[in-house]
Amino acid sequence: MLLGQVGALVIKLAFLAALAAAFCYYQVHRTGSTRWLPFSRGGYHLATLSLMTSSALFLYLILTHQFQYTYIWNYSSTDLPLSLLLSTFYAGQEGSFMLWALFTSLIGVFLMQYSTENDYEPQVMSVYSLILGFLLLMLVVKNPFTFIWETFPNDLIQTGPVPAGITNYFMLDTAKNIWARYPVEGKGLNPLLQNYWMVIHPPILFIGFSAMAVPYAHAVAGLMKRDYNSWIRVATPWSVFGAMVLGTGIILGGYWAYETLGWGGFWGWDPVENSSLVPWLLCVASIHTTLTQRKSGAFVKTNFVLSILTFVTVLYSTFLTRSGVLGDTSVHSFVDPGMWVYWLLLACIALFGTIGFGLLFFRVKEMPKVPVEHSFVSREFALFLGAFALSFMALFVIIGTSSPIITTILKGKASAVEIMYYVRTNLPLGIVVTLLSGLGQLLWWHHSKAGSLLKSLMWPTILSVLLTGLILLMGWEEIEILLFMFCSAFSLFANLQVGYGIYRGNPKFVGGSIAHIGIAVMCLGFITSERYDDKATVTLEKNKPVPALGYTLTYTGYRPLERDRFAFDIEVVRGNLKKKVAPSMHFSEQSTLRHPDLINFLSKDFYVSPVSIEQAAGPKEETLILQKGEERPIGGFNVKFREFDFNAFERGAMLEGRSFVINVNLDILEGKRKSALILTMTNSGEGPVFTPASYTAANGSVYEFNLVRILPDREDRLKSRVELSVKMPEEPSAPKRDETLVVEASIKPMINLVWVGTVTFIVGFALTILRRAEEAKVHAKKWRQE
Amino acid sequence: MNVKVVVGVVVVVVGIVIGAVNFLESNVEYMDFATAERTNKRAQVKGVWVQEQPTSFDAENVKFTFYMRDDSDRTVKVVLDGAKPNNFEIAESIVAKGRFVDGEFHATEILTKCPSKYDGDAEAVKKSL
Repeated sequence: MLLGQVGALVIKLAFLAALAAAFCYYQVHRTGSTRWLPFSRGGYHLATLSLMTSSALFLYLILTHQFQYTYIWNYSSTDLPLSLLLSTFYAGQEGSFMLWALFTSLIGVFLMQYSTENDYEPQVMSVYSLILGFLLLMLVVKNPFTFIWETFPNDLIQTGPVPAGITNYFMLDTAKNIWARYPVEGKGLNPLLQNYWMVIHPPILFIGFSAMAVPYAHAVAGLMKRDYNSWIRVATPWSVFGAMVLGTGIILGGYWAYETLGWGGFWGWDPVENSSLVPWLLCVASIHTTLTQRKSGAFVKTNFVLSILTFVTVLYSTFLTRSGVLGDTSVHSFVDPGMWVYWLLLACIALFGTIGFGLLFFRVKEMPKVPVEHSFVSREFALFLGAFALSFMALFVIIGTSSPIITTILKGKASAVEIMYYVRTNLPLGIVVTLLSGLGQLLWWHHSKAGSLLKSLMWPTILSVLLTGLILLMGWEEIEILLFMFCSAFSLFANLQVGYGIYRGNPKFVGGSIAHIGIAVMCLGFITSERYDDKATVTLEKNKPVPALGYTLTYTGYRPLERDRFAFDIEVVRGNLKKKVAPSMHFSEQSTLRHPDLINFLSKDFYVSPVSIEQAAGPKEETLILQKGEERPIGGFNVKFREFDFNAFERGAMLEGRSFVINVNLDILEGKRKSALILTMTNSGEGPVFTPASYTAANGSVYEFNLVRILPDREDRLKSRVELSVKMPEEPSAPKRDETLVVEASIKPMINLVWVGTVTFIVGFALTILRRAEEAKVHAKKWRQE
Repeated sequence: MNVKVVVGVVVVVVGIVIGAVNFLESNVEYMDFATAERTNKRAQVKGVWVQEQPTSFDAENVKFTFYMRDDSDRTVKVVLDGAKPNNFEIAESIVAKGRFVDGEFHATEILTKCPSKYDGDAEAVKKSL
């Protein structure tokens, strides 16, 4: 038995074990007897162990370059360094589903322990095991261990004796002599993904996705247990954990786009980015509304809805980016995974949506009704509005991302919305959210007295007016940006004030304020770096200093990096400062990828992205592709490709591997003049050598012809073509230019705020997790004593 | 209570209207060159790059110029604001977003749809045997 078959079998085992665990846990819940409990736990652990085994097997196959597996052939190659080789695990769909499932199962091991302590094990784990089961079903359907001859049976499977000298084959049926060849080299990883971001970013996102299943499981468990309040305490540390990890993943993705992919900014409202933003927004909204429920018991239904929606949108986002529905409306290319995955993902959304909302529907009548007692000037109301605005943001983003589906239904043709849509809809909401994230902290629960509120508002307002004024010194802005700026500053100062107060009282409770400060600082960074940036397209002739954006740039030449990548060295000078940037371009077989480079100053980034490299512009060169007998105009005459001259002697030489010569015979027709021109390719085993020929036109100008390559057509020899380059005569008037690099340079003021804000916000979330986890522990102890 | 409900409903309705208007406005319609030229609207046109016609890059102004044939078989000169898009040469089809200016299509964005390099196809398998 082959390792891959073992792997596929173990995945099936994991799938069945997860389903069994879900069923047994449900029995524990239904009967209330612990008789089923050992089977439930055993089933879950078996599923986890099996999945770990198959993942380890998969990793082993990747590390040992087993290209007889389609997936490994598709995404990896022998020339990848270890870290990138590891990252090919999740470079494609099957592998990333496997990673997602693996993280889900591992988180579940901790969740099991945790929920036992909180008397939630049977319910939470039955829902959670079902989720794991469905992720595993995806792997059963889209098997990552598919053999390459199963994918391409017509091309690889052969019958008869295996010819001598072939070692890369696998015997499928010894009796009938059926065997399959397999590749010795893989296609390799997409060059865009070949950097360290690929190693860290996707795993973090998947941990975030996995964690989002936990609040969902708790919400459903709460509904199953008819416990409409305390599930929140149990679930909150996990929601905060999920939001922290997913948030970190989202920002890292943004940094990846900014630093290596050369999008120029960190957010492009791309479907892949949006699909992780939507669950994040909803999760953050739910963290806020659960606060109110703890305090006053209100928002019972809202909290169920938000927690269920968070996970359902994870599934929906996966559907959008994985099922191929977005087609060709985005810069990401979405592989069409086949109908199975499409329907399975839809079924997943339907199933988990129905379980959550269905149960909610049946329970809603018996839920406690808490009359609204707070006033409009209360923290409750601010939290409500904030969560409402966050949910609306999520709604707008998800509608925008679904645009190809919506337009297909409405107009019959898929089209994506432009970035403008996201900005216009989210900016007003962003203003509201940042304002409330400051104001809410200053308000009291239940009701705030005007006097104390005004007093606490004073300093944040004064300081944010000052800060806004300071930013405006860099330039005026439109009203919405101005408001966003002011509200972000207000949130920053209000939270500093409140946070300081809390810190002096109980430092453990300061997490929320710190997280808000982080977000506010990030928003300020977004505004300064995106709205106050300075851009210039600069044409840099080699070794000639060019002033741009207050700096002097000098292109000093290029040097090869690994594989087909070239770095372009640019000296950046300003006063005493002298630095170097080296943006690079990757010229792969058929395309060019551009990677920017930047200098990070304390107050700004100097960002340089390459646009193009122009060879030294002596005489102009044109290329021509001609088929046999074809005639084309160039300069003031016509060129006709008459024939190949490749005689029997040379052909024999080629077959024997000796050096051979192919002549390409051209006719030049200028007016009534007809002349012949012969271009030669000599192939001596070390690659072809071309011999040029020149033609002097009637007016005395000299055109130099050279052969670039021969494009043979194996099916129809008459259709074989040649590619020629023609060096045009030098025009005295044309400017002479050395090798020239075109770059786009930009200055992004205060972009460090974004990164400082990110770190701050992670710290804030981490502190909140600690606080809420401790609280849940106390709660668990109380429950055990009862 | 009633006032609250009314205010709430108004906020939701306004939100939805703003969203819907923006959605429709920013959804650039697909059409062919002929329709785009006639209506003079911002449009998305799907087609293929015409390799036989000259392709050039103006480094001074950062304009990439090429010829594109749409699905109705009309070939038009396209001027893109920017450099040659990634994967331009291997794209099996391209989508240009922009509008007509003096008989040329001025594109602000180009999406390239790539065929196979990373999708796995039989040709590549045979090559790597």
